[in-house]
Amino acid sequence: MMNETRRIIRFTLNGRAATANIAIYETVIEVLQRDFNLFGGRESCGQGLCGCCTVLVNGTAVSGCLYLAAFVDGAEVVTVEGLADRGVLHPIQQAFVSKTGFQCGYCTPGFILMTEQLLKRYPHPTDDEIRHYLSGNLCRCAAYPDIIEAVKAAANKIQAVESDP
Amino acid sequence: MKNFELVEPSTIDEAVALLDPEDTGVRAIAGGTALMLMMKTRLFQPTRLVSLRRLNGALRTVRTDENGGLRIGALTTLTELEHSPLVAKAVPVMSRALRTLSNVRIRNVATIGGHLAHGDPHMDLPPILLTLGARVRAVSSRGERWIDVADLFLGYYQTAIARDELIAEVDVPLQPVNVHTWYAKFTALSADDWPTVGTAVWYRLESGVIAEARVAVSAATERPMRVPSAEAALTGSSPTVQMFAKAADAAADEVHPLADIRGSAAYKREMVRVHVRRALEHASRARSTEAE
Repeated sequence: MMNETRRIIRFTLNGRAATANIAIYETVIEVLQRDFNLFGGRESCGQGLCGCCTVLVNGTAVSGCLYLAAFVDGAEVVTVEGLADRGVLHPIQQAFVSKTGFQCGYCTPGFILMTEQLLKRYPHPTDDEIRHYLSGNLCRCAAYPDIIEAVKAAANKIQAVESDP
Repeated sequence: MKNFELVEPSTIDEAVALLDPEDTGVRAIAGGTALMLMMKTRLFQPTRLVSLRRLNGALRTVRTDENGGLRIGALTTLTELEHSPLVAKAVPVMSRALRTLSNVRIRNVATIGGHLAHGDPHMDLPPILLTLGARVRAVSSRGERWIDVADLFLGYYQTAIARDELIAEVDVPLQPVNVHTWYAKFTALSADDWPTVGTAVWYRLESGVIAEARVAVSAATERPMRVPSAEAALTGSSPTVQMFAKAADAAADEVHPLADIRGSAAYKREMVRVHVRRALEHASRARSTEAE
């Protein structure tokens, strides 16, 4: 155990078994980009404030830039790349497209994953719930009004699908 | 980041045995959100991190004890506390504060034990726990001891937790009847920034008079601290806006604010005055703990 500088981690990544050889100090974002070519999660502020590095670990959103890769050993990791189902966009992704809930798109993966979490807790979110829940995601293009519309559209779409499967 | 050793013990006994009272590079890591920031900026370069994530089961619970107080396992996440019906019922001031503490992702990962052990004066829960009379159970291979939150914070990022100790549990005693509480936080730069000033107030009414008062200030000061002069101003008085303003003046006179990016010392002193007063006004309108 002493002076171990690297270790092998095994986890589930977007539904598939994954293995990575990591340095102990690496974050989950660094490993996802380098070993799996997944760039949907990206480090922007590096302090957990902006939400660009959001990934889901065991179904819960975390800031991937503050999360040691070693801690996903044995966990289920989902990135924005894992949301679409065989090429069909997730209803949240579709809603962001329909409502143009983005401009440059850099922050979008984080907003989409946090919306997934938001709708799990509040299936019919009020404006206040949306604003509050997404206060940890920054959009420097300030597409916020469209993002809020996209979240509402996604909530309606998911609700419609669930009531009429 | 430089390399370090990462160990993941599965019992608390193993965990405390892996801590080292002599080595400042050895630290426990739970959620790690605060520690990772320090590591990324090289304020802290660990030689060994003792991960507590495999201890989750035993230390990740919220329950009511036989005296009606709350017992919170140190590895309980801030999200779990935010949504805990037990916390909402016993100390709604805490549930409310958690709603605006950092953001969802940080709350999902950060633990109450880490929140307290870090000793960062900007954290939201320490001033509240100070007014609630909370204490923490610290364990080491030497045994265990209870530390009042009032004795926990010694200075800027300094706590009474020894290098070979871990916080295992937080005890929030059953609050007496007719208690009014509030936490007011002021963020100068943006809504989701660290607070410039945090103020927690607590007072107990007896026949319409303040029989006991607790006022705590954080973020502006080098550590979260009670403000005895403000408490003395309130005790024995009626809860009126005039008395609240007097107590706020006493608090502003007593504190020694630190200047930083969020404001000069003089500005923060004024913000202490404003927000102690506002917290007291909010507290007077908030529903009290059950009346007899």
